[in-house]
Amino acid sequence: MSFQYPLGLLGLIGIPILVLIYIIKSKYTEQTVSATYLWTLSEKFLKKKKKDNKLTGIISLILQILAIAIISLTIAQPVFTIPNGANEYCFILDSSGSMSMEMENNKSRFEVGKDRIKEIIEDSGNGSLYTLICVDNNTTTVFEKETDKDDALLLIDELKSGFGSQNVSTALSKAQSYFDANKGTLTYLVTDKSYSEAKNIHLINVASEKDNYALSQVTYDYSVLGSLSISGYVTSYESDATINLQVNAGDESAQQEISVQKGVAKKFTFDLYVESFDSATVKILNSDALALDNESVIYNVNKANAYKTLLVSQTPFFLETVLKSVGSESITVMSPNDYLTKEENKSREIKGYGLYVFHSCNPKSVPDDGSVWLINSTASIENSGFNYQGEIKLDKAEKISKTKASASTIRKLLSDVDGNEIYVSKYSKYDTYRNFDTLFTHEGNPVIFTGVNTYGNREVVFAFDLHNSDLPLLADYVFLVNNLIKFSFPSVIDEAFYECGDKAQINIVSNCESIRVESPRGKISHLSTKEMISEFQLDEVGVYTITATIAGQARSFNIYSAMVDEEKDPVTENEGEISLLGEASGKGFDGIYDKLIIFFICLAVIMVADWVVYCYDKYQLR
Amino acid sequence: MKNSIINEEFLQQVEALQSLIKNNVAGLFGGTHQSKTFGSSCEFADYRDYIPGDDITKIDWNAYARFDKLYQKLYLDERQMHTKIYIDASRSMEYGRADKAEQALRLAATVAYLSLNEMDKVSIYAIRNKEIIEIISGMVGKDSYVGEIGKLNDLEFSGDSYISDAVIPSSVGYGDGMSVIISDFLTDNDYESAINHLADKKRDVFCIQVLSPDELNPKIRGKVHLYDSESAEKIYRKNIKKDIMQAYRKALEYVQERIGNVCASRGAHYLLVSSEDSMGDVFFGRMVEKEVLK
Repeated sequence: MSFQYPLGLLGLIGIPILVLIYIIKSKYTEQTVSATYLWTLSEKFLKKKKKDNKLTGIISLILQILAIAIISLTIAQPVFTIPNGANEYCFILDSSGSMSMEMENNKSRFEVGKDRIKEIIEDSGNGSLYTLICVDNNTTTVFEKETDKDDALLLIDELKSGFGSQNVSTALSKAQSYFDANKGTLTYLVTDKSYSEAKNIHLINVASEKDNYALSQVTYDYSVLGSLSISGYVTSYESDATINLQVNAGDESAQQEISVQKGVAKKFTFDLYVESFDSATVKILNSDALALDNESVIYNVNKANAYKTLLVSQTPFFLETVLKSVGSESITVMSPNDYLTKEENKSREIKGYGLYVFHSCNPKSVPDDGSVWLINSTASIENSGFNYQGEIKLDKAEKISKTKASASTIRKLLSDVDGNEIYVSKYSKYDTYRNFDTLFTHEGNPVIFTGVNTYGNREVVFAFDLHNSDLPLLADYVFLVNNLIKFSFPSVIDEAFYECGDKAQINIVSNCESIRVESPRGKISHLSTKEMISEFQLDEVGVYTITATIAGQARSFNIYSAMVDEEKDPVTENEGEISLLGEASGKGFDGIYDKLIIFFICLAVIMVADWVVYCYDKYQLR
Repeated sequence: MKNSIINEEFLQQVEALQSLIKNNVAGLFGGTHQSKTFGSSCEFADYRDYIPGDDITKIDWNAYARFDKLYQKLYLDERQMHTKIYIDASRSMEYGRADKAEQALRLAATVAYLSLNEMDKVSIYAIRNKEIIEIISGMVGKDSYVGEIGKLNDLEFSGDSYISDAVIPSSVGYGDGMSVIISDFLTDNDYESAINHLADKKRDVFCIQVLSPDELNPKIRGKVHLYDSESAEKIYRKNIKKDIMQAYRKALEYVQERIGNVCASRGAHYLLVSSEDSMGDVFFGRMVEKEVLK
């Protein structure tokens, strides 16, 4: 036994002092009184009672001595060493998706693994050191060289399994460093994977042979006519089986029975007709070891990125047709006079559109809440970024020149556009006072240009009326409009189906103020909006909800993170050899017994008991 | 020893006290009142049977003629009374907070002054062991008081006191005044006989028990070894707790009852005085309350 703070033992000096005080207190004090007559006479009036319990005083003394001894020992912190009774432990716990599979006892492999680690910690000698590393896609050190068993057990209780694939290499490097520092370190790998050989590592295998079915590669094809085709693969990993599949898409649902052979992925296809398609869910109805891979949710990216268009034109035919052909589903057509009246009256009817197209219409100001296309404006428009300087009428139609600039944005805007055969007979001359990217010019005058207006919204300007050009008759027209639509409305998400461990990409559109991501387990994170694209890692399986606040309006998108295929197989594959380099010493170190709480409890009991004795004595004297 | 007790200041206080009593009560002490005994003044009081040896000049011959029996005429005696004050001068009187000896001397001096004021004769004695020590004898008049009373300051308190053994053999007088015994009465020694003897001698007996606050309400607690101031053989060794204190109070009540009962049975007055009490309280308050002063 040793003491962490031996100076605390100085408190034991209090014991002889206490005994001395007790002896002094116990001594009869001598006193002379005028007459002892009354005192002696009082003996006659003393009620007969049992003899004074001398133990009362002695008990009080004993309790006080014990209290002093315990306080001193508590301060000194005695450490009872147990020779060679402690070890250093390093646990590597597989937290990959497959560890979520249920075992025969309805506990997940992960929970069983945790229990095994807890058992080892509980059985270990006091004074041992514990390190726990969790591995899936990431390697996380939960605690390092922890000395407190209870703390370690508490932290283990709070652990949750991950969803990604197992990668133990980083964890083994860490374990190697602990092993190098102490050859007596006991390293445990708790996993459902199988290894042919493990040197200096104790393997704890938590694999089970409970069957598992899984969906994979779920995709969809949806036409504007309402035809929805959902396909994917289904696998039974442990045995041949008949798997029941169900699809829900809007109000429609369908079921299929698919016979699959063990370990062979079999394709399935559901063909449905739905008028509108936001999302669809594919489910395996059979119960199995792992529920996470039995469901897949697909989202309609185009629907998610949908926008409303207000077309202000006296002759909207060409524009409406081409906009619909490139995917604009909701188009409201309004005459210029109507719009101007409503603009004058500040009507709310001309608010809330994603895209405003003004054809031969001169609004007083550009709208502040959406992208704007200005076609053949014949007046200066507030906040548009340019001023009207008059009309240029050509004697005969002349070709306009495609810009030679090679900036990436301009390349995107002119993607697939030939642009060499576009003629105009009349156009307006504009003087721009904001930075615009000019796509086409005539004699140095911009005739088609794009940029951002005063409100920060994207703006497309045609300086000519489509009637005064051959553009609507050219294939370039569709390509150009498509590119301009993409420019005006970049998609927030391009893809809505990922595998856990992938990095999801979010396009940062103009006026995007914030992006909030909520994971399936409810973990909230916020992405940066400074770059064109923001990425985040998918660590969980399930639906991630992305909420983008664009120009003050919140828009939500869902993406689905599916389980990685290699974690769906309950059959443990041989992962080869793992080892820690060096020779294990097998030596532990001296353990300690530090249940000081017992001392504190004893101390409290003694203090209370002493207090009771004191009060009793006090009461007797009162 | 008690040089400072009976001093000028004290005498002024007594004088002031006397004036107060005079204005408020008729007074009991003094030679101007009628004696309980029958004397030879001309004021007829009563008859009694003739006993051979009586003064034959006081036989009522008319009564003899009427009843054929000899009767002696009795007359109220208006002679000067003799107040005798006995002070317990044992060692126990000197112990305790606000010691009892000083209070005893003050009481004796005050009683003496009041008696002299009533034209009585005053003698003061000390009782030590079994003896009566005469301190002041036959003091008459205020002038002699001033000269004599200072002798009390020389009184020493030592030894034990046996009140009966001392008083009974002494000349206590007969029916001619008041006998005042000032003591703590904390003794097993006999004092009842003295009271009886004085009562038999037709004296007005007045017992003043003086106790110190430490005796009336002792603060002693815990383990103590108590020595008696009068005798080294008398010791008391106990762990004093609540039960002993209760017994002590009963013992104190018993002592008061003992002396109180003896006095009551013999028509004597009894008064308990704390050594902390002021003379004003004792004479103006307590004695009036007990009807010692009327």
